[in-house]
Amino acid sequence: MIKLVSVTKIYKMGTEEVRALDRVTLEVYPGEILVVMGPSGSGKSTLLHIMGCLDRPTSGHVYIDGKDVSRFNDRQLARVRNTMLGFVFQQFNLLPQLTALENVELPMVYAEVPRKKRLERAKELLTNFELADRMKHRPTQLSGGQQQRVAIARALANNPKVILADEPTGNLDTISGEIVIENLVRLNREKGMTVVVVTHDPEMAAIGHRVIHMRDGHMVKEEVGR
Amino acid sequence: MIYELFKTAISSIFANKLRTFLSVLGITIGIAAVIAVVSLGQGAGKSVQERISSLGSNIVMITPGKVGGTGGKIAEALGDILSEDDVENIAQFCPSVDSVTPVLQRQLNLQYGSANTLSTVIGVYPNVFQMLDLEIDRGRTLTWYDEGKRVCVIGNEVKEDLFGDDDPIGKTIYVVTPVGKQRMTVVGTLEPAGQLLMFRPDNAVILPFNTAKNRIFHTERLSLIMAQVASEDLTDQAIAEIDAYLFSQFKDEEKYKIISQEAILSTVNETVNILNLTLGGIAGISLLVGGIGIMNIMLVSVTERTREIGIRKAIGATNSSILAQFLIESVVITIVGGIIGIVLGIVVGRFVGKMMDLNIAITPMVILIAVGVSTVVGLFFGVFPAYKASKLNPVDALRYE
Repeated sequence: MIKLVSVTKIYKMGTEEVRALDRVTLEVYPGEILVVMGPSGSGKSTLLHIMGCLDRPTSGHVYIDGKDVSRFNDRQLARVRNTMLGFVFQQFNLLPQLTALENVELPMVYAEVPRKKRLERAKELLTNFELADRMKHRPTQLSGGQQQRVAIARALANNPKVILADEPTGNLDTISGEIVIENLVRLNREKGMTVVVVTHDPEMAAIGHRVIHMRDGHMVKEEVGR
Repeated sequence: MIYELFKTAISSIFANKLRTFLSVLGITIGIAAVIAVVSLGQGAGKSVQERISSLGSNIVMITPGKVGGTGGKIAEALGDILSEDDVENIAQFCPSVDSVTPVLQRQLNLQYGSANTLSTVIGVYPNVFQMLDLEIDRGRTLTWYDEGKRVCVIGNEVKEDLFGDDDPIGKTIYVVTPVGKQRMTVVGTLEPAGQLLMFRPDNAVILPFNTAKNRIFHTERLSLIMAQVASEDLTDQAIAEIDAYLFSQFKDEEKYKIISQEAILSTVNETVNILNLTLGGIAGISLLVGGIGIMNIMLVSVTERTREIGIRKAIGATNSSILAQFLIESVVITIVGGIIGIVLGIVVGRFVGKMMDLNIAITPMVILIAVGVSTVVGLFFGVFPAYKASKLNPVDALRYE
């Protein structure tokens, strides 16, 4: 589904170079839940950003669905993010001036889905996440758990192939976190959705089919879970 | 998509009402200033043009030129150059000229009883009434039989000043010259005529030429010669004929000047245009400042919304849709400012026009240009911030706190 071949990412911090990823080769298989763990600064977020086409590798190749996206231009990358990938962030990252419904609609706006279809789909998704009565609420009027569920609904709007989640439970209380975890597991089980999760949370790691550990830009350990 | 972009722009404009209001204000003031100034300028130009063209564009004036003024020589008006002979010769040798009259004119005091007034005393042939379309209010016009007689026709202001509501016909007035008073009998009064090219008939006393020459001016030197061309399209030809005659006479084109109505009109137009451009340009500077204000606000807005841009990009916004979003925002601000500015400009223009007794001219062109300019200002000053927003790297934008 996603394949990284010898991916290196170097950041320049002033005059110093930071090697966030060092020749990482990794494949994400269709239908699996891949958990990425590691201490902060280990490069796990960078890994997710590169898989998610939010950033370009300094060298190496990234294949998504067999296509070498490291050669894509900005417009093509935007299209990949829009239609093939769905992001869930630690900070939820909903647009505060939009309602829950409008937030879920937004990826479909950029995909130029007709208005009516878009509205239908967004309502359906929010209903699935038990947010039917919160559609007209703005993010500030929602709890953290509710916001994260809106974010997951938004990630699913254009039927992506992969969900990329960056510490999705990091800002949530235990119960809300569990609900988010359940939702991701259910998506994987029922829809065969491929999920990549970066986390510190051991409970989250327990759902992974595979767990990889990162340190100093290297993959140091790979476990097959469950 | 465009609809959503507009919706986004409008909602973010409303999200920051005070800031938006202030940047709209900048554009509003700029556009209002341009509209008010240009429409007042055009109004002023129009009224000058109307006054001048009321004289009829088939009148040609010949005035003495001047010589010297360089190399230590004092410039000197050639007062002695034009004579009654020239008038006769122009009538004879210039077939395109219909009628022609010598003109003597000077500012002098008039007296009637205890009343007196300063007026322009003019000595001309009687054909001047027909040439300048001067209408008689009371009494009669002058004729060739009046030449040498002590009679005059007075303008309506002179009549008001000297006679008030009394009937002036048959009354005797005195023209006060440096060498004594001259008695004249009023035989007619003029309808109000407004400003003509060289004088205001309203404030004039018109005398038969010979009367004026012998009794008041005591000179052969003409102030000017006025000629009427047979028809307007012969003006250029008439000027050429007069020029040919005068040049053969004086051998120096500096010694005389031929002024046509058309030439004056085009000079006036030029002057008015330059004035309008200058004033409009000064007003335009405020528009420029307004535009810079917009750019400033948009740059702040882009920085503030870096994270939003990151989020939008993460879920699939292309660079061009981000560019469009911010561009639409700045154009909406300037267009709104422009429309308010047009209304304000018209109101201010009307108000000032009323105070200055000017008919202001608000042409559709002015409004069109104002709308166009404000859109262009929005685009021009919006492009850089919008481009900056669109080029943000998604990861950096998402990380921005």
